[in-house]
Amino acid sequence: MLAAVLAACFAQQPYADAYSFAEREPRTPLERAIDAVLPCVVKVHGASGLATVQPYGSGVIVSEQGHVLALDQVMLQDGQTSVVLWDGSVHAAELLPPDEKLGVRMLKIDCGRPLPFLKPAADLSPPPGTIVFSVGNCFRLAEFSEKLSVTSGVLVARAKTGLRYRLQDVDYDGELWITDAMNNPGHGGGGLFTLDGKWIGLNAKVVTSRETNTHISAAIPVADLVPYIERWTLGKVAPPEPPAAPAARGWIGVKLFDHGSGQTSPPAYVERVVPGSPAALAGIKPDDLIVHVDGQPVRTCRQFHEAAAKLRPGQKVAITYKRGASVHKVELTLGEEKR
Amino acid sequence: MTRPTCSVLVLALALATAVAAQDQDPLLELQHLIQRAAERVAPCTVRVETFGGVRRAAAAGPAIADGARPEPRRGRRPAQKPDEDEHKPPDEKEGRRGRGLEGLVTPGFLQTQGATTGLILAADGWIAVSRFALAYDPTTILVTLADGRSFEAERKGEDTSRGIALVKIAAEGLPVPEIVDPETVRVGQWAIVLGRTFGQQQPSVHLGIVSATRRIFGRAVQVDANCSPANYGGPVLDLDGRVIGLCTPLSPAGRDAGVDWYDSGIGFAATLGDIGALLARMREGEVLHRGWLGVTTDPAFTGPGARIANVDPTSPAAGIGLKAKDVVVEVDGRPVRHHFELQMLIASRLAGEKAALAVERGGERVALEVVLAPLPAAERAAEKKGRVDDPMPWEEGR
Repeated sequence: MLAAVLAACFAQQPYADAYSFAEREPRTPLERAIDAVLPCVVKVHGASGLATVQPYGSGVIVSEQGHVLALDQVMLQDGQTSVVLWDGSVHAAELLPPDEKLGVRMLKIDCGRPLPFLKPAADLSPPPGTIVFSVGNCFRLAEFSEKLSVTSGVLVARAKTGLRYRLQDVDYDGELWITDAMNNPGHGGGGLFTLDGKWIGLNAKVVTSRETNTHISAAIPVADLVPYIERWTLGKVAPPEPPAAPAARGWIGVKLFDHGSGQTSPPAYVERVVPGSPAALAGIKPDDLIVHVDGQPVRTCRQFHEAAAKLRPGQKVAITYKRGASVHKVELTLGEEKR
Repeated sequence: MTRPTCSVLVLALALATAVAAQDQDPLLELQHLIQRAAERVAPCTVRVETFGGVRRAAAAGPAIADGARPEPRRGRRPAQKPDEDEHKPPDEKEGRRGRGLEGLVTPGFLQTQGATTGLILAADGWIAVSRFALAYDPTTILVTLADGRSFEAERKGEDTSRGIALVKIAAEGLPVPEIVDPETVRVGQWAIVLGRTFGQQQPSVHLGIVSATRRIFGRAVQVDANCSPANYGGPVLDLDGRVIGLCTPLSPAGRDAGVDWYDSGIGFAATLGDIGALLARMREGEVLHRGWLGVTTDPAFTGPGARIANVDPTSPAAGIGLKAKDVVVEVDGRPVRHHFELQMLIASRLAGEKAALAVERGGERVALEVVLAPLPAAERAAEKKGRVDDPMPWEEGR
């Protein structure tokens, strides 16, 4: 990995000196980009005293007037949340209602002066292998005017993946930037940037993949954050989401060879196909092994049932199955489940 | 032209040059090369999914806090749908079972059955995967190509010392990557790891450098790019998009390393460029193991040579009459300067290979020839230190 660069961190010196020491002029586009974005990322401090709550994190200034976007965390408590700017000044923050789906929350500080802020580069979609850097206050290494930490790496992927935070599954089904620029506790809420300083993601918590059980450094793509940001900075209110349709379930028409118990669930072998069902019309037969539903692997009967529960009547779904040694892919249009 | 205008022009030119020089960031060029290398090998990387099977061996360790870790079920075939396996001749079935599943699960690591990655080696459907992918002894291995086609893969041979397994799919005309000779790899050069586990068009990309060469007794290149279960089986590339090796969990000796080193900055690319003959044997279904001599050496003996402390009575060493206090001074004409060198020379060989030993015994020099054996189960399960033949993490309980 590219060496992680820790921006100036002289904890032993007085705070004023730590920021105002003579630093050489930036030489490369990366150095210039880092200089440009550092003042726009802040330290966020919240309620302490709760044993399992980490009372620090990062945030991104998104408006001249002092809107700061951060992750919605337990530490954000009314009257106990403060924002520390690049110059070391500390400001009490007002908490605005969070976006529960994205897990982010807007903070508002009042400094009486215009602040430097970041514009989301919502139209950028750089490919995997793009060099990125990430800014945040990992492990609370920086205090007051000490500079935040910068780590670098490449974009690994932009993908949907099942995630776990600590022991809980993360209920987020959008795509995420996956990067190998290290994300650590406290880094969440900071920014992810391309080499030329374009803001492309808000650092997420340190999460684990449910699929592979590996640690993942992830960031929420800024395009997904724009509606929430503009709701506060521009007063734009998104049209209300249409009420959720009654959850009629899509009907496939297979019964699986599901005799697992407890924690094990066997592979999704078909035991019976209901005559005339979408599965029967598509040619699925007993003893076929269902391996993909809409491209997503289903390794067990349980995973098949989970995938099937999300399907709706009338929806087209691609099912891949194995018969003998050959693999087939069929598309079927779902019926309505009879209850 | 007046003099002041001239100076202004010169100054402007100088400034323009300075700005241009500043903007030539080598990182921009690097970014371009990374993406080009990834694009070049992307069509050769495949997604590997496994179905069925069960984890039969798991190292003892602290329970995973979420309680999702099932108890290993030893010695019992799981209740599952009968498959083609049952129709094979008995010896073939036994062969599959015998090599089934080794202790890939290390303490504290919850192995999931998530997708892993594979690399096409030949246009007619030969694919290298990580043995990690087959740790559950799956009944079905599904390979999905970059173009979206899926095939059932048949499990063929393996090299347990490199953590590589070969599978075969019924496809023709597949793209094949260029593979580099590991002798040409240098510490400090860029290393790019590709994975295929996020289920999307482009492979995932990790970047790092080569940390060391000739690791794992000459079988792997060490890299600091993230090598996790998500990209085991994926190719490790140089900046030209040529394959250095296959990302697999490896460790030189200890059993607490390998899988649990993932994403720590210590990753291994099992080299492919130097094992053409072995790949041919693996195509025939052969399972290759690291060679075992069956002796422990005396670490207090300062050499030259390695003084034997103990000889396993069932070992090849006992078979050729090697005894305690013998001093091995040469292996295949190469001098053994100290006891670790004997381990290196033996461990770099495979079971079935011959080794010519020169031994000093009571002031006399004796020439012996030995055929190395695979590690026996009892030896693999033992928890002794300082042996010549420390097992790989997955060689335990084989």
